[in-house]
Amino acid sequence: MFRRKKALKTEDTHIKQLADIVGPKEVLFHKEDLISYESDGFTIHSHMPKAVVFPKNTEEVAAVVKYCADHDLPFLARGAGTGLSGGAIPLNGEVIISLVKMKRLLHVDLENRQAVVEPGYVNLKLTHSISDKGYYYAPDPSSQYCCTIGGNVAENAGGAHCLKYGVTTNHILGLEVVTPAGDIIEIGREGIADVPGYDLLGLITGSEGTLGIVTKITVRILKNPEEKQTVLAYFDRVEDGSRAVSDIVSRGIVPAALEMMDKIAIEGVEAAAFPVGHPKDIEALLLIEVDGISAGIEEQIDDILDVCKKRNVRSVKVAQDEKERAKWWANRKTGFGAMGAISPDYLVQDGVIPRSTLPQVLQKINEVSQETGLRIANIFHAGDGNLHPLILFDARVPGETEKALEAGSKCLQACADAGGSITGEHGVGIEKREEMRFVFTDQEIQAQTDVREVFNPHYLLNAGKLFPSSGRCAEIKAEQKKAASE
Amino acid sequence: MSVKENVVQEPPCTNQSLSNYLWKEKPDENKWADCVHCGMCLESCPTYEVTGQEQHSPRGRVHLIKSVAEGKLEVNEQFMDPVFACLDCKACTTACPADVDVGGLIEEARGQVRQALPLTGWRKMVSSFFLKGIFPHPSRIQTAGQLLKVYQKSGVQSVVRKTGVLHVLPDHLKTMESVMPKIKQPVRKKYKHEEVIKAKDKTKQEVAFLTGCVMDVMFSDINEATVNVLTRNGNDVAIPKQQTCCGALHVHAGDRDMGRKLAKQNIEAFEHADTVITNAAGCGCMLAEYPELFREEDTEWRERAEDFAKKVVDVSKYLHDTGYEKPEAKLNTTLTYHDACHLAHGQGVRQEPRDVLLDIPGVKMVPMANADRCCGSAGIYNITNPDMAGDVLESKIENVPEEAEMISMGNPGCMLQMAMGVEKHGRNQQIVHTVQLLDWAYQKEDQERGRK
Ligand SMILES: Cc1cc2nc3c(=O)[nH]c(=O)nc-3n(C[C@H](O)[C@H](O)[C@H](O)COP(=O)(O)OP(=O)(O)OC[C@H]3O[C@@H](n4cnc5c(N)ncnc54)[C@H](O)[C@@H]3O)c2cc1C
Ligand code: SF4
Ligand code: SF4
Repeated sequence: MFRRKKALKTEDTHIKQLADIVGPKEVLFHKEDLISYESDGFTIHSHMPKAVVFPKNTEEVAAVVKYCADHDLPFLARGAGTGLSGGAIPLNGEVIISLVKMKRLLHVDLENRQAVVEPGYVNLKLTHSISDKGYYYAPDPSSQYCCTIGGNVAENAGGAHCLKYGVTTNHILGLEVVTPAGDIIEIGREGIADVPGYDLLGLITGSEGTLGIVTKITVRILKNPEEKQTVLAYFDRVEDGSRAVSDIVSRGIVPAALEMMDKIAIEGVEAAAFPVGHPKDIEALLLIEVDGISAGIEEQIDDILDVCKKRNVRSVKVAQDEKERAKWWANRKTGFGAMGAISPDYLVQDGVIPRSTLPQVLQKINEVSQETGLRIANIFHAGDGNLHPLILFDARVPGETEKALEAGSKCLQACADAGGSITGEHGVGIEKREEMRFVFTDQEIQAQTDVREVFNPHYLLNAGKLFPSSGRCAEIKAEQKKAASE
Repeated sequence: MSVKENVVQEPPCTNQSLSNYLWKEKPDENKWADCVHCGMCLESCPTYEVTGQEQHSPRGRVHLIKSVAEGKLEVNEQFMDPVFACLDCKACTTACPADVDVGGLIEEARGQVRQALPLTGWRKMVSSFFLKGIFPHPSRIQTAGQLLKVYQKSGVQSVVRKTGVLHVLPDHLKTMESVMPKIKQPVRKKYKHEEVIKAKDKTKQEVAFLTGCVMDVMFSDINEATVNVLTRNGNDVAIPKQQTCCGALHVHAGDRDMGRKLAKQNIEAFEHADTVITNAAGCGCMLAEYPELFREEDTEWRERAEDFAKKVVDVSKYLHDTGYEKPEAKLNTTLTYHDACHLAHGQGVRQEPRDVLLDIPGVKMVPMANADRCCGSAGIYNITNPDMAGDVLESKIENVPEEAEMISMGNPGCMLQMAMGVEKHGRNQQIVHTVQLLDWAYQKEDQERGRK
């Protein structure tokens, strides 16, 4: 039964000091309480944190950071822990600074189309709280039901509707950040689209929690489109589906979303909690949405139907009402989790490729699946060439985890070979540190770790993420050199 | 350290021999194997909303339960806390894309906790008094009900309230006392000489009715309304005498043996019925889950439990699916609807009760935000975990629209909790059961006809 927590029972002075800052109820340090924080949405690695603290405001965040910095305690920020590359895993036994208690919507300014939120505010809540006034927040990662806007900023999250509207970085107007030394700084100015000087907003956004802890965010909000139409198309050949994607874009249509699922993915979503009733024997489906002012929507839909027909679509339909549309999207957006219904574990990869190379890269992924003997499902943002191969495996079978990692790495290699990149939106974290070498030379990596050093000189904040280990070795050497010369 | 090195050092495998579950009915590995740790369930969970802590979320609870099986944790007090703070509201089951049966896992884990750390002291006394001594015995509940009735009628209640004897009760029990429903005659007592209560006009079908144990004493007027509404719509209603408490409270508390005993008695009692009607979402949900209790038992009982489970249906869904007469009298009122967890998440019944309510002329429905968010009642949770229950209730009441005059729902446990919430937070909505409203409309119609 739920016991009222008694006074802090610990001899650890760090824990006591942290409790003095945030209050005794807001510190976790028992093994049983910490174990849930040993990983995030990426479960292949796990490590126990030293403690988890729940600050309620920026000042408390700054005080915790200062304490950690002064006492050489590694620390990192965590939002909802839905990250898929292990960014919030405490590899070095960090003090986790959880931002979920800072979850207020601070201010909505419809006139200037912006809102100010705390970092723990959940993505979808923003749209929910302004939708009655006709506005919404565009970046819509599939995890938007629970991921935090702070986490979105750190990962520069994208989503189905980012094809037309851009990813998180295109919607951030200002940030309040606690630096790794514990200072509070403001970047960007409310209501002003651009400020002179270096684009620090752009640098912090997508830095995966390695440059500072975001404590306040000013975001752009958009007016709801006048009209929206959604199309579902079934194909007998993956190739036809992927060609249709290129054709739609080359006709000059910019759909709000253009998503694809292959046969194994369809098997998963149909076996899970939000089935639509997709036929079991099709090879690929496309989910296409167009929005904007009413004039012209009909023509775009006709164009899309025409492209699908030319590419041998088996059947294609337009959503009849909001209910049908919502059903299609729920099925798509819960797609990753749905893999749990057909496989005990999955590893989701996240590569980006030029749209035109889609058929050949999918073919390559298919070969990887055959080589490794692991099934690979594909659910992805086809419109912007952002692939998500989901490698299905069973961690209980000895050797399968390694095989899955290998398959994942090969998929990324295929993306890099096709002229693409190794992450579209899920970040590098722990997962893709090594694969950074597919796209960057040692010097390029060094240049980036040099930037990190300006912000995070003692390397206590979220160490061991984002860059490969030798990049780190080089940097440690540099540090030693510096120390020697001082 | 490269990715591969790390993996070799800590193979993420489950090893049965390391398991720290040492008793029978271990949490089922297949249930947590479905969990991919995606976190899509987090925001649905009321205890996560209140605490913001992973171990009080569905994902965290599944992870804890799995960690014990992997030998990383033991079944101890610290493990018990999150496992028992779960409300059994099943909101996570609706939210989870992989259909992980979090609730089932938690109940199994509670079974292990109860065997590892048997209750001692006053907790044991209270628990065995209510769960073993009272709930399974209808006659004793009736006696307790009688006492309560005397207490309310005799004026002692008002004396007690005025003199402040209640000050010795903890706050949450004080509020509960003040909203206790007036005790009337239980349905089972009233119809004890009738084999079946005949349909008002022509019989369309016969159904059996589970009256519920506490329900029939504390909320006998809702049972009365249920019988009225069913008989008015062509149903003969049987109230099997052998029926007993559904066992939900026992299973939630980790006492699966008692749960099975009660389940067997009910399965036998309703052997000859084709349809088993419930009007308490918590009971209905438990009945439908009887097969889980026999997962490790002999196949005979498992099959009987499965057959039984298929017959169970909530009264609002039954009326909706088999048809009912739309009332003609007007009940001019503005109401809002609260989805009881065990109706919405547990049995997937959401639209049916709303449709029934909207069929009553003059009823205006205003939506409640987060209507399917738990109110914190959860069986006896509000007695055992008052702090958490209070926080959950507060956020529920905040969502009750000002303009609503009534809040309708399909679960008596919620009704008591919501009544407490309304009282405690200075609101004034009347709390009603869906069938009660329908019954009132019929009664009003009859009166108006009579007058004409
Ligand atoms: C089912 C599922 C679907 C997903 N779909 C998508 C998708 O479509 N598109 C997409 O882009 N991503 C997707 N993701 C990945 C994930 O949801 C996003 O990366 C999200 O932005 C992470 O937010 P979070 O609050 O969970 O952050 P966390 O996982 O807690 O943290 C992620 C990283 O951000 C850092 N961080 C968190 N908060 C802060 C802060 N306030 N300041 C500084 N650093 C911080 C952490 O240190 C960590 O490195 C999906 C994940 C899942 C499980
Ligand atoms: S219980 Fe379901 S929703 Fe929650 S983390 Fe596991 S798979 Fe995801
Ligand atoms: S049953 Fe309710 S309280 Fe328990 S884990 Fe699920 S959502 Fe949370």
